[in-house]
Amino acid sequence: MKKHWHWRHLEETLARGLMLLSFAVVAVSLALILGTVMARGLPSLDWAMLTQSPKGGYYLGKEGGILNAILGSLYLAGGGTLLAFLFSLPLSLYLQTYVRRSSWGHFVRLGLDVLWGIPSIVYGAFGFMVMLAIGLRASLLGGVLVLALLEMPIMTRAMDEVLQMMPEELEQASLALGATRFETALRVVSRQMLPGILTAVLLAFGRGIGDAASVLFTAGYTDRLPTSLLRPAASLPLAVFFQLGTPYPEVQQRAYAAALILTVLVLIISLGSRWLAGRLGQFVVK
Amino acid sequence: MPRLSSPPSVLAARQRRERLTRRGLFFLTVFPPLLVVVMAAVLLGRAWPILGQNSLWALMSGRVWKPVAGQFGFLPFLSGTLWVTLAALVLAVPPSLLTAIYLAEYARPPTRAFMKPVLDLLAAIPSVVYGVWGVIAIVPWVQHTLAPFCRRAFGFLPLFRSENPTGFSIMAGAIVLAVMVAPFIIAVTYEVFRAVPEGMRQASLAVGATRWQTIRHVVLPKTLAGVLAGIVLGLSRALGETMAVLMVVGNVVQVPRSLFDAAYPLPALIANNYGEMMSIPLYDAALMTAALILLVIVLMFNVAATLVLRRMKARSQ
Amino acid sequence: MKSQYMGLALIALVVVLASACGQATPAIRPEDDLQGVISISGAFALYPMMQRWAEEFHKVHPGVEFDISAGGAGKGMTDALSGAVDIGMVSREVSEEEEAQGAYWVPVVIDAVFPTVSNKNPVLDDLLAKGISQDTFIKIFITGEVKTWGQVVGRPEITDEIHPFTRADACGAADVWAKYLGGKKQEDLLGIAVSGDPGLVDAVAKDPLGLGYNNLNYAYDAESGRPVAGVVVVPIDRNGNGVAEADELLETKSEAQEAVASGRYPSPPARPLNLVTKGKPQGLVQVFLEWILTDGRQFVGEAGYIPLSSEQLAEALRKVR
Repeated sequence: MKKHWHWRHLEETLARGLMLLSFAVVAVSLALILGTVMARGLPSLDWAMLTQSPKGGYYLGKEGGILNAILGSLYLAGGGTLLAFLFSLPLSLYLQTYVRRSSWGHFVRLGLDVLWGIPSIVYGAFGFMVMLAIGLRASLLGGVLVLALLEMPIMTRAMDEVLQMMPEELEQASLALGATRFETALRVVSRQMLPGILTAVLLAFGRGIGDAASVLFTAGYTDRLPTSLLRPAASLPLAVFFQLGTPYPEVQQRAYAAALILTVLVLIISLGSRWLAGRLGQFVVK
Repeated sequence: MPRLSSPPSVLAARQRRERLTRRGLFFLTVFPPLLVVVMAAVLLGRAWPILGQNSLWALMSGRVWKPVAGQFGFLPFLSGTLWVTLAALVLAVPPSLLTAIYLAEYARPPTRAFMKPVLDLLAAIPSVVYGVWGVIAIVPWVQHTLAPFCRRAFGFLPLFRSENPTGFSIMAGAIVLAVMVAPFIIAVTYEVFRAVPEGMRQASLAVGATRWQTIRHVVLPKTLAGVLAGIVLGLSRALGETMAVLMVVGNVVQVPRSLFDAAYPLPALIANNYGEMMSIPLYDAALMTAALILLVIVLMFNVAATLVLRRMKARSQ
Repeated sequence: MKSQYMGLALIALVVVLASACGQATPAIRPEDDLQGVISISGAFALYPMMQRWAEEFHKVHPGVEFDISAGGAGKGMTDALSGAVDIGMVSREVSEEEEAQGAYWVPVVIDAVFPTVSNKNPVLDDLLAKGISQDTFIKIFITGEVKTWGQVVGRPEITDEIHPFTRADACGAADVWAKYLGGKKQEDLLGIAVSGDPGLVDAVAKDPLGLGYNNLNYAYDAESGRPVAGVVVVPIDRNGNGVAEADELLETKSEAQEAVASGRYPSPPARPLNLVTKGKPQGLVQVFLEWILTDGRQFVGEAGYIPLSSEQLAEALRKVR
């Protein structure tokens, strides 16, 4: 058989080439970012950074660390994510179970999408105004609340998308056995989609822990370790931001180290939950 | 006949629980739209001193921004936002789609397994870090390499010509934003492509189409709605991003005419000046107006996207 | 049986009360009676200094704790006036509107802004010999009439453009620089806006044609005392005679500090940095502010700022007491 060089073979090769190129660009960008952060941050990273809070001379280049920001970020994002989760999971289950295609469902989803698109500075400003109105000062609690607000749309929408991929057969099997719709949602759907739900939570957590603009106005900052809900709490993005703004090169280098710590923290949590999702995969019916 | 379900009393109890849960949870669904309305209302209230005085058209088209003198023209910021976001999308969407398709259709499992956590990581990197990277790596690159190249190669188009001597430009902002947004688009598009049943692909390949033809003519039409959703997602992220763009975009109050001009997007305006509100009269109203405009833009955009998506889904049904 | 428990309960109650009373009268050193938390936010310019003061004050009064946040002068003012913090760090003058809303300010140190250029500037030698006058600065940053370096040094054959840089974030440095240039405001400054003081230094260092302005601590390196690598501080030609006198040339940080302290450096762009409270400071805050102006002064030099002159100090103390 004669082998013809059809244009479609050319098309195929071209497409593959473009795709590999794109893939390379994306992979290289990631490497570049991580590489830059590591190159700048690693030299200043030492044990003290991770285990001590700043001493008085820290911002002039002397001893101390950013344990206050590390713990603060974990509490802030952890609290915010937990709060958002308590809200998002029932909400997305409801959306999936009852209002999947109705106009109300679409309307709510629209609201969530809009909330997602609002810049975090607006959340920060809004949170600040609300806090002032109720007499709450910059505090861990304020930061947690605003982060929960910030994360909720992401978490809900991501969960929503994930839940939509639920295999119908499983759902119908459960309903056929006599379970009510919500029982189905609770017992069958959430278990089946657990890995996906976890991904959604992770996505929201990443946004929460990395955001500076919203916590600037609501969580404040302090050099002390977070011990009280009503006192300000430090956070890693702000630690980076403030340290970058000082005139001392050693402190600016520490900003990169803080950024590195933040990235590594997210990486650890991300990988950790992937492992957890793998373990939870035992509930998933393939 | 064997009894398949529980006794009637238990069943009734479960059904009652179901009804109660349903009714209770309904209130949760009210919250998101309510929050949007409340935010809009609060912003409107704080923005009223300016909005009540000047016509919306005058504010939107005004070019002069001198708060101390009482002049609030939002056009530079509106166009700045538009330029940066559009440029970021143009830069981000084609490579992201292609990468997602590659991962979904061509890549071997080890590559796939490697890239997924990598993408998650990219999506999770905080914006401050992107901003720092932008200042260290992107701005100088734009200044010393990209801008001169574009000026030489495409200088006849005003789009690529600029008097801006530094790398702090729309292009730098667009590049940083594109890298931030790409993981989202890739992740969503990837999932969408994976969700297409293998059977369709097999059928197409069986009749002799190449893989790319299969993708273009069989898989893509099925996933178009999902792909669009992914792009909308990326756009939302781009519009909502404040910190990273602020650090590299130049923050010059002007209506940009070139990709290499500096610009001043709306979120940057709010972030840079939020603290100053008490000192200048009407300044906080102006910033709240900026925030309100952003909210409305996001709203309009999402409504448009929803309508388009619905039309597409209806047509493919 | 019940009475036994009653008895035990009574004894327990007495013990608890006694121990509580006992703690009410420990041996007190006069310093130890201060307790509380002071929350502070505001200008980056004052941030390291305030950290230092807080640490030292805490040593003397261990019962007092501090929550300090940066975020910019504007944020400090907003936070102070809205009651979100006790003290706002404001690196500029307090305006009338702010005073009308209750801003009560106390100057604590002096800082100054210095014009900077790249050390690869094409006309660097001329600049160092002649300086730049206030008038020329106005024509560069405000009106835009002067566009080339040649125009600045009086050699029209040099056509290299000037690239002015300014601050994107609302800050005291830009505010005072604009004030120096004819009583203008930050929004009137021309130039590419960069975020943060270090960002501005960086931009100027990387651009041979750049012209910027920086606070004392950011223009000069803390260790060496010389201007930050890649940057040169341009003398301001104060008397407009086209010659940079020896005392106008500020090659080291200590020279600059001395010029400001002695009043030779114009003010603006030298200015006092203020701490703002809502209304006259009371209680713990008042004690802290007074401490800053007395015992706290010894830490000012090492942090790289300029202490208040004696009249300014007397005035500040009067405001605090």
